Amino acid sequence: MTDQWFERDPQWFKRAVFYEIHIRGFFDGNDDGSGDFRGLIEKLDYLQWLGVDCIWLLPMYQSPLRDGGYDIADFFTIHPDYGTVEDFKHFVEQAHQRGIRVIADLVMNHTSSDHPWFQESRQDRTNPKADWYVWSDSDELYKDARIIFIDTEASNWTFDPVRGQYYWHRFFFHQPDLNYENPEVQEAMLNVLRFWLDLGIDGFRLDAVPYLFEEDGTGCENLEPTHEYLKRVRAEVDARYPDRVLLAEANMWPEDVVEYFGDGDGDECHMAFHFPVMPRMFMSVRREDATPMYEILERTPDIPRNAQWGLFLRNHDELTLEMVTDDERDYMYAEYAKDPRMKLNLGIRRRLAPLLDGGRDEIELMHAILFSLPGSPVLYYGDEIGMGDNVYLGDRDGVRTPMQWTSDRNAGFSRADWAQLYLQPLMDPVYGYQAVNVEAQLRTPTSFLRWVHRFVALRKEHPVFGLGTYEPLSSDNSKIFAHIRRWEEDTVLCVHNLARSAQAVQLDLSAFAGMVPEEMFGRTSFPPVGELPYLLTLAPRGFFWFQLREAKA
Amino acid sequence: MTFDEQALIEHVTRQRWYGAKSRDVAHARVLDSVVARTSEPQLVLALVEMRYETGAHDIYQLVYALRDGELELDGLADTTLARELVSAMRSGLTLQGTEGIVEFRPVEGFAGIGRELVETHSIDAEQSNTSVVFDDELILKVFRRLEPGLNPELEMLRFLTQHGFSNIAALGGWYAYSGGPLGATLGILQEFVRGGLDGWELALDELSSDPDRFLGRLHRLGEVTGELHTVLGSDSDDPAFCPETPSVESLGLLTATVDEEIERVFLDLPQDEEALEPIAGRGEEVRDQLRQLTHAGSTGKIIRTHGDYHLGQTMWADDDWVILDFEGEPARPLAERRLKRSPLRDVAGMLRSFAYAASAVQFLRGIEPPDDWEEQAREEFLDGYLQTVDSALIPSGQAGLERLLAVYELEKAVYELRYEVDNRPDWVTIPVTGIQRLIEGAATTS
Repeated sequence: MTDQWFERDPQWFKRAVFYEIHIRGFFDGNDDGSGDFRGLIEKLDYLQWLGVDCIWLLPMYQSPLRDGGYDIADFFTIHPDYGTVEDFKHFVEQAHQRGIRVIADLVMNHTSSDHPWFQESRQDRTNPKADWYVWSDSDELYKDARIIFIDTEASNWTFDPVRGQYYWHRFFFHQPDLNYENPEVQEAMLNVLRFWLDLGIDGFRLDAVPYLFEEDGTGCENLEPTHEYLKRVRAEVDARYPDRVLLAEANMWPEDVVEYFGDGDGDECHMAFHFPVMPRMFMSVRREDATPMYEILERTPDIPRNAQWGLFLRNHDELTLEMVTDDERDYMYAEYAKDPRMKLNLGIRRRLAPLLDGGRDEIELMHAILFSLPGSPVLYYGDEIGMGDNVYLGDRDGVRTPMQWTSDRNAGFSRADWAQLYLQPLMDPVYGYQAVNVEAQLRTPTSFLRWVHRFVALRKEHPVFGLGTYEPLSSDNSKIFAHIRRWEEDTVLCVHNLARSAQAVQLDLSAFAGMVPEEMFGRTSFPPVGELPYLLTLAPRGFFWFQLREAKA
Repeated sequence: MTFDEQALIEHVTRQRWYGAKSRDVAHARVLDSVVARTSEPQLVLALVEMRYETGAHDIYQLVYALRDGELELDGLADTTLARELVSAMRSGLTLQGTEGIVEFRPVEGFAGIGRELVETHSIDAEQSNTSVVFDDELILKVFRRLEPGLNPELEMLRFLTQHGFSNIAALGGWYAYSGGPLGATLGILQEFVRGGLDGWELALDELSSDPDRFLGRLHRLGEVTGELHTVLGSDSDDPAFCPETPSVESLGLLTATVDEEIERVFLDLPQDEEALEPIAGRGEEVRDQLRQLTHAGSTGKIIRTHGDYHLGQTMWADDDWVILDFEGEPARPLAERRLKRSPLRDVAGMLRSFAYAASAVQFLRGIEPPDDWEEQAREEFLDGYLQTVDSALIPSGQAGLERLLAVYELEKAVYELRYEVDNRPDWVTIPVTGIQRLIEGAATTS
C-alpha cells in the first residue's frame, strides 16, 4: 500500500486552519520533562476535536538548541528529546488517520555552527565543503545588509580563528549562512526536502527565505537568485509530491512578500505569512480606529489564484514590529510593553491573552477579525485556552512554557519531577494552570476553548473565508472595521466594533438591496437591506458576521 | 483502449454507485487498467479518475468488457464474467498495469473457493458497491468509489477469521490495487449466508408473532457481540487492533462534542410540533444531564469496533447470529472508520435499534408490542453481553458502565432526532422518547 491517505485536493491549504506547536512544550510522552512525538500522538484527538486541519511543528531536528532548534546540526535526525525518525513517521501517520496534515519548520538559509558541514568547511580553504558557507577575508562585503538580531549581534560577519576568515550570518553568530551560489548546497537542500516528503510530511514552513543569496550593494534580501532557487524547489514538489505546501516566512512588506508566490498561477511558495497586518490589528483595537487595518489591506497586492496568505495573532517569536514605522513602534511599545522586559529585538515577547489584558471580548474580537480576513489562520498552541506568559524567562522562552492540560501536577503536561521540566508551567493566579487549563475549559460550555471550537467549525463551514474576495466597506464611523467576502454564491458581511463603547454604524449596502442578512452564529434573520444606508448597532468590542441571502419570495 | 471522455463521464455519473451527483465533473480519465480475462470476451479492470471543478477528485473502479471489438462499459452486467475475478483469486494472480499492480489473493483454508461456479446473479444490496452471488454460496463485493488505504471490511474480516471468530460470513479472498494513483482494496469474496433472516425484519416479524422468542435471541446476540469485542481486543501484537487506553481528554472531548450537538439540534427544532412536546425547551436539561454523566469515572479501553452496529447489520442463520458489514459508517472517511473507539459505542447503537424496532412494529405493522418489551430487550442483550465481553475493555463497575453507555445513547438519539426531523417527521417520537427517558431516568435515580 502506498501512503496516500486523502482525496487529492490541491487547494486544501486555502481553507485550512493551522495550529503551531512547540513540540517540547506540548505533551511529555516518556516522563523526562520535555515534550516529544509520543506525547504529541496522545493529543491528536484533542487537535482533531478543535478542528485543526494542519499542524505546523517548530524545528524538530538535531540541534544544540541555542536558537530554539532553528540552529540545525543535522537535517536528517530528530532531536533525541523529541524521539526518532520512526516516531516522527508514526506521528504523521496517526495525524493523517485523523485527517490532520503536518508541516514542519525548515531552515534553509543557515545551519548551526555545530553542523558537520560547517565543521568541515572551517578547517581550511580547500576541503570538499570549503565553499559551502560564505567566507571572506574581510568584514567589508555586503555592508548594506541590516542586522536583524540587534540586541545580540554587532555585525553580520564573525571571524573564525580556525580558518582565519570571516563567515557570514544574518542571524546569530553561531548560525553561519549556507552558500547558495554553490550548486552542491542547492542540491543538498533539495535532498533534505525529499527525505521528509518521502516520509509523508505535507510541507514546510520555510524559515528566513529572503536571505538565501547575497550580492554586494544590495540589502541582501529578496534577490532574484533566491526566487530562482525557490522556483526550482517548487517544481520538484509539484512534479513528485502533489498536495504538499511551501509556506514562506518573509517578514517583509506585502509588495515584497508577494514575490514569493512567484509568477502566473504561482510557481514559488504556496503560502506566505502576512506579517504587517498583525501589529495593525493590535493597533486598531488599542486606538479604536480601523484605519491601520484598512490601509495595510489596501496596500496588499492581489496574489495568484493558487496562493494564500498565512495570518496569525501571535506565534513562538516576539510580536514583531519590523514592518511598522518608528512612530507606530513607539506607540506599540507604549501600549503593549509597559515593562521593558517585555521587549525583544524589534518586538514584544508576550502571549495574546496578556497583551489584551485578559479581556475576553477583546480576545474574541481579535479572533473574529483574524478569521474574517482573506487568508488561512494560524493558531499558536495555548492561545485557544488563553494561556499567559512569563516575562522573567530569557529570550522567547516566556511564550513557550508547557501547555496547560489539567490542574494536576505539572499542569498535566508531564509526569516527571517538577525540577526536571524543561520550563515550569505558569503558576500565577490569573494565567496559571490551576485557573487556565484544557480540562476545565472542555467541561465548561461557556469557556473560551469551547468558543474557539465553535468558531473554527463556523469558519470551516464557509469556504468563502478561505477562497473568497475581500471588499472593504467604508462607513461614517472609523471605529468600525467592515468588509464583504464573496465566493461563488456565498456572500458574507463582517462588521467589527473596535471600540470599548457601543457603536452605531451606517453601511452602504445598496449593492445588496433586497437581500436578508442572517447572523451566522445564531442564524437569526435581520431586516432586509434597502436602498438607504443599513444601520447596525454593536456592543463594545462586538462583532457580527452575516450571510447575505436572497429574500424568500 | 482509449475512451471518449464524454462517454466515460456519462456512464460513470449515471451509475447507482456514483457518489458525487451534485458535483460538476470537469474531466474523467483512465489512470490505469489491467486485463483480468484475456480470452473473448475480455474483462478489464480500470481506475477512473473523476476530476471536479473544484480541483478535487474521486477514483472509481470500472469493470468493462470487450466483446467482438465492442466496448461494454458495464462488464459485470454479464455476471458470468465475474467468475473470472474469483478464479484470479483462486490462482493468486498478480496483474501488471502501467502505474501499479492488481493482486488477487485467496484466504488459506477457505473451502468455497475451489469449486466450479455455475449460477451467477447480481444483487443490489448496497449503494456504493456491486455484488455478484455465485451458486448461493459465494458473494463478490466490488468496491466502486475507491479510498486510499486498507478497506476496514477486509481488514476486520481477515482479523476475525484469523482469530477464530465464527459468527461472520467467512472471507474467501480479495483483490487490491497498489501503485502511483493510490493503494486501495478493490473487492472481496465472502461466504454467502444462505437462508439467513435479516435481523431487523426478524425483529418486526417476531414482535408481531412471538415477542418472547425474540428476547431469547437477543440474549444470544448480546453474547455474540461480547465475543466479537473480546476477540477484537485480544491481540496486543497487532498495532491496528491492540487495545489502547483512551487519552485523558477523551471523555471531555466526547462530552463537549455531544453537548454542542445538543445545543445546535435544539436550536433548530421546529416550534409547536406535538411529537416534540415532551422535550421541547428542555435542551438545557439534557445538557445538564450530560454533564452529570461525564463527571468522572473510568472509560475502559478503546478497540476496533463494528462502527455502525444495529439490527440491520445482523442475520439469523443456522440457529445463530451472523454479524455483517464491517465497513463502518460509509459517510465517514476511511481513515476515521479505522480509529479505535469504546466498544460501548456499538452496544449503544444496538440498544437504540431496539427502540426503533418496538416503534416500527407499530408504525409499519400496526401491532402494539408488550409494554416493557424494549426494557426487557435491553436487559437480555446486556446480560448476554456482559457474560462474554472481556471486562478489561469496558468501564469498571456498574455505575461507570451505565454512565458511558448513556452518553453514547444520548449521542445517537440526538443524531436520530436531527435525522428524523429532517426526513421522517412521523418517526420523531422514537428519539424523543429515548431522550426523555435519559432526562427523566436521571431524575428518578439521583
